[in-house]
Amino acid sequence: MKDKIFRDILPNVSKPARYTGSEVNIICKDWDKCRTKMAFAFPDVYEVGMSHVGSKILYGLVNEKSDHLLERVYAPWPDMEKEMRSHEIPLFTLESFKAVNEFDVVGFTLQYELAITNVLNMLDMSDIPLWSKDRNEQYPLIIAGGPVVFNPEPYADFFDVFIVGDGEEVLLEFLDCCWENRHLKRQEQLLKLALLEGVYVPSLYSVYYNENGTFNKMIPLYESVPDTIKKRVVADLDDAYFPDKPVLPYMSIVHDRAVLEVMRGCQRGCRFCHAGVVYRPVRERSIKTLKKQASEQLASTGYDEIGLTSLSTLDYSGVDSLVKDLVKEYREQGTGVSLPSLRVDAFSIELANEVQKVRKTTLTLAPEAGTQRMRDIINKNVTEEQLLAAVKAAFQSGWLSIKLYFMDGLPGETEEDLEGILELLKKIRTMGDENARKKVEIRASIASFVPKAHTPFQWHAQNTIEELEEKRRVLSRNRMKRIKMSFHDSRTSYLEGVFSRGDRRLSSSIYLAWQKGSKFDGWSEYFNFSRWMEAFRESDIKPDFYTSRLRPYDEVLPWEFIDTGVSKAYLQDENEKAATGITTGDCRWDGCTGCGICPAFAIDLDIKEEFGG
Amino acid sequence: MRLRAEYRVESNLKFLGNLDMMNLMTRALRRAAIPFALSEGFNPHVKLSMGTVLPVGVWGKKEYFDLELIQEMHPGDFIEKMNRVLPLGMEIQQCIKLDDKQDALMKIINAASYTFVLKPSDYDYSALPDRLMSQDKLLVKSRGKQKGIDKDLRPGIFKITVNYYEQSVMIGIWVNVGEPINVRYDELLDLLKDQGVKHEEVLDIFRSENFMRAGNVFYSPFEKVR
Repeated sequence: MKDKIFRDILPNVSKPARYTGSEVNIICKDWDKCRTKMAFAFPDVYEVGMSHVGSKILYGLVNEKSDHLLERVYAPWPDMEKEMRSHEIPLFTLESFKAVNEFDVVGFTLQYELAITNVLNMLDMSDIPLWSKDRNEQYPLIIAGGPVVFNPEPYADFFDVFIVGDGEEVLLEFLDCCWENRHLKRQEQLLKLALLEGVYVPSLYSVYYNENGTFNKMIPLYESVPDTIKKRVVADLDDAYFPDKPVLPYMSIVHDRAVLEVMRGCQRGCRFCHAGVVYRPVRERSIKTLKKQASEQLASTGYDEIGLTSLSTLDYSGVDSLVKDLVKEYREQGTGVSLPSLRVDAFSIELANEVQKVRKTTLTLAPEAGTQRMRDIINKNVTEEQLLAAVKAAFQSGWLSIKLYFMDGLPGETEEDLEGILELLKKIRTMGDENARKKVEIRASIASFVPKAHTPFQWHAQNTIEELEEKRRVLSRNRMKRIKMSFHDSRTSYLEGVFSRGDRRLSSSIYLAWQKGSKFDGWSEYFNFSRWMEAFRESDIKPDFYTSRLRPYDEVLPWEFIDTGVSKAYLQDENEKAATGITTGDCRWDGCTGCGICPAFAIDLDIKEEFGG
Repeated sequence: MRLRAEYRVESNLKFLGNLDMMNLMTRALRRAAIPFALSEGFNPHVKLSMGTVLPVGVWGKKEYFDLELIQEMHPGDFIEKMNRVLPLGMEIQQCIKLDDKQDALMKIINAASYTFVLKPSDYDYSALPDRLMSQDKLLVKSRGKQKGIDKDLRPGIFKITVNYYEQSVMIGIWVNVGEPINVRYDELLDLLKDQGVKHEEVLDIFRSENFMRAGNVFYSPFEKVR
């Protein structure tokens, strides 16, 4: 098959290096000597999937630390899909060029709600039935993990199993269990797997709805099957596996650098933030571990950049000395350090200057809202003074352009809050003109707020597309010199909203949308909204039911059975505090805020260093 | 000091673009801990200059790069260290020291030879060289900058050879590179198709050599240096 692909197909597609495999540090294990064979499927194109840190972790973990095997497959770009279908080439992995349906397990990572159409398309290209009920033990187990599966219900009918929480904590156990029970019938296999903590088998539950369409309850069909699914949590990141030899792509990928995950989780408590809840509590890696990982990764890849990643890297207790040490150590080889979105304060700018010594980076800040009132509502504990001090420091140290992230459509938003964004942008520009050596450029990216499951804002109504479009008009009514604004597509945000708080009944809409040709929905050139609306109509789904309704506190939510550890009382309390503009502290500094997650997992915030910044 | 290296790119790497090749090579230099020189400025880069771009879809038997070092290094040492870290399908074959006066590869390489490996068929390939070389003009649609415009390849073709093997026929074509006429491999493929060669008969295409041509003599980028 490989020869045919190289000879007849790759010369005719764009970016053929997406499909050739044979990268540096690829691990090709002996198929016949391995136990459970798993294909790790990323439902987006190679350069996106190859940038995902979680995939790198699981790839190395399974292949280096077990007798199982894990091979990679990414969504073929539509031109490649067309070629493959016309030559009757099934979806294949990059290690062995074996068809995906020859594997025992196919695991998808769901990083984004709308990636589901790519999942269906990839299953279809593998000749695997899309509905879980149509697959027996002749077919691979189709599983999924990642942030999206904290509300797995909209996708429940397509997957045999969901894995909830930190994947490296559970995957080997899971593959062992698959191996031990490989001779059983599918149903019996599933019953065994359902006993593992963090493993959810949707077909083992019945779901009931109320007459008004709201969710009523979910009942396990067997006594052994748990009522709630508790996420899995790595207790100490220093002990957790992290790859020293990540696969090095030949073509440029989105995040093309060595990566250090300095910590997992975030303690800031922004009330809109899904990741902030589901990845809690904060667990850090020690500087010692990180420096060792940096040196191993650079030696095995030859990258000239080290990225420090996490939800809020500038909060990492060792960030100051880590950055300074890395810069010092690798500067001479021209190897730089990069920081993702910065915290909004002067300390961040000082560190960014440190980073700049080697390589120029863009400066990105996320004030999220334009007025103090709104920042208090969302618990973004940043003041205008801090923000202006940060940009002043940045302009004084030579930056000429700054990127800012905002959200609109937030709960309780008024015209004043929108005007606040514009005012803030102008103030920042003025700050630039007074402090920078040249005229400055400001870029603002405005995303629409999408209420997410497991957050304090999970009960809120989402702005309608019309409301969001009107806000966009307000924000962009006057052109402002040297300020560029870009907006997320409000229709995409709407769909994300449907699925982020959706339930099982949505599966037929997803199936229909895929059948009508939906795929790569995260890519504006392929996104087609009317196809989705048709799919909803034909499957008798009113999508507004999921987005536009203010849910009462006593409504049972379809994702409640997924136990992230957070208490419902805490979420409710946070939501009430938001309504009155009362902020909540940061549990790293201000003591426990009572979210309930640490006691639920009998762990604690894991701070590794004395904070020096 | 400067080094000039000759390397081979096998078929499994033939789909890499020029930037991919550059990245592959600089990352290998870093893995091998070669004492390369860096440029100044905000985005320091390894002082590596590759020869003419190997087209995507074509593998290469003898490709070249020049590299500047900040320390003396024995060429044999360089070959050994690099080959230990280069991926399967890429290998340094030769390496020599360059003195500072030597011109850069991009400046000196002005010709190349492509080999088309064909499935033996009824087609009489032996008549092909004379038939093509005796024409005044060999027109194809340009696939380069002025896409679609008629382009005469004839002044850019120096030599055509045909060799028969048990399983295949190899057609070698020596062409001009760069100014005044840049002959591309895909244009040559179009030319062969115009001559009745069928697409499915083309088994493989590779660039066999890069040259510094002086009149009728084709030097390798190593020869003039020695």
